[in-house]
Amino acid sequence: MDARRAEALPVRYAGLDDIVKRVPVSVVWEITLACDLACSHCGSRAGRRRRDELSTAEALDLVGQIAELGARDVGLIGGEAYLRKDWLEIVAAIRAAGMRCDLQTGGRNLSEARVAAAAAAGLCGVGISIDGIGATHDKVRGVPGSYELALAALRRVRAHGLSSAVNSQINAYTLPQLREMMDVIIDAGATNWQLAITTAMGNAADHPEMLLQPWQMLEVMPLLAELAVEGRERGLFLQPASNVGYFGPHESTIRNVLDPEIFFHGCNAGDTVMGIEADGTIKGCPGLGADYAGGNVRERRLKDIWENSAPIAFNRRRTVEDLWGFCRTCYYAETCMAGCTWTSHALMGRAGNNPMCHHRALEMDARGLRERLVKVRDAPGRSFDNGEFEIVVEPVPPAASTRVPDRIAVNG
Amino acid sequence: MAETGRIPVPLRLCRGCRRFVNLDGREDCVFCGADLAAAEAEHEANLAEMRRAADALREALAGLR
Repeated sequence: MDARRAEALPVRYAGLDDIVKRVPVSVVWEITLACDLACSHCGSRAGRRRRDELSTAEALDLVGQIAELGARDVGLIGGEAYLRKDWLEIVAAIRAAGMRCDLQTGGRNLSEARVAAAAAAGLCGVGISIDGIGATHDKVRGVPGSYELALAALRRVRAHGLSSAVNSQINAYTLPQLREMMDVIIDAGATNWQLAITTAMGNAADHPEMLLQPWQMLEVMPLLAELAVEGRERGLFLQPASNVGYFGPHESTIRNVLDPEIFFHGCNAGDTVMGIEADGTIKGCPGLGADYAGGNVRERRLKDIWENSAPIAFNRRRTVEDLWGFCRTCYYAETCMAGCTWTSHALMGRAGNNPMCHHRALEMDARGLRERLVKVRDAPGRSFDNGEFEIVVEPVPPAASTRVPDRIAVNG
Repeated sequence: MAETGRIPVPLRLCRGCRRFVNLDGREDCVFCGADLAAAEAEHEANLAEMRRAADALREALAGLR
């Protein structure tokens, strides 16, 4: 990649050097689990504070430890990060340590005073969750009126000169409204739109009716490609989350970051992404559950956990032999490694086989088949928990098949 | 020495069908059958033509000012 592109890339973009050196470029830090929303898809089942959240002193010390590892971007999340009384001290400390600091929020109580104080503390940007239009958003977020409050918060952020982004879930409720949502968020002044497929974790595991089916990737990916192209023309950069994909004819279009030859190259957990829970638990990714907890900063230094903890190392130590099901013999197995670990574990009870994949859906469709997820085990009801789904392979109903089969060339 | 991260496995973009293909020595796209090198060359030629057209337009607009 040439120097011009390298300079223009977002701070959160991890290059090859970062990957080789395992720099946690992007740290996502849940500073409290207290929340003022009741999202039906919340993976952490946020609402009340965790039993033993880090003190101010512990949190500020952790900022220094994060900086020591070379992190460039710290995203504060919750729950709702601004509900933590010392959140502005944490923002200021992150900025003083030379790192970018963003807030990811539902925006319900992101008041004028809060935005002004955050800007004064050095906050760089805000990502506001918008999940549907009007009543759809209110239903997904569990609070009537939260849609208008989120939009108002977005405008407030823009007015204070902070970079403004929107985060949206793609699920059964929001998928039909994505196009209309793009119009709304462009009008509200957002310049970046991150989209993620709702993962079957936490509250979402209790609402299987909300989740997409694997065959719906045949609709999602072409739509996102259209929105990405149109968005770029209208000043909105569409950013697919790591669980959106994979491959097929639209990969280049939706993952284009100044370079059409960028593609999904596998889960980054534990390499260039780190997740931190409010009690000091360290994970390779913010979405992963307890099985992937590498340690706690109250017991070990962050550097020690990052460099030596086996659960943090799972991603870089596994091989194609650790994949199973369709993914084991997929054409892209070695590159993709079953995509988003969070998604595959949440659905299948373990990583290594991920049915939420465009290439996989295309392959199935070319054979007149599709995969359907059926829930077979409930989630136990803890933060970052999951149930389990089975994959049923079935013929595509005649009315549903619109594809002209492509030449099938892949193994499996 | 600390472990390194997982190095991405490189892929190549087929300019014929815009799917990514493995670097396995094949000369044709495993999905659409296009000659990968020929499709890339055609793409580069089209890009060069677009750049020439853009440059000409810029010059023309500059001449109007």
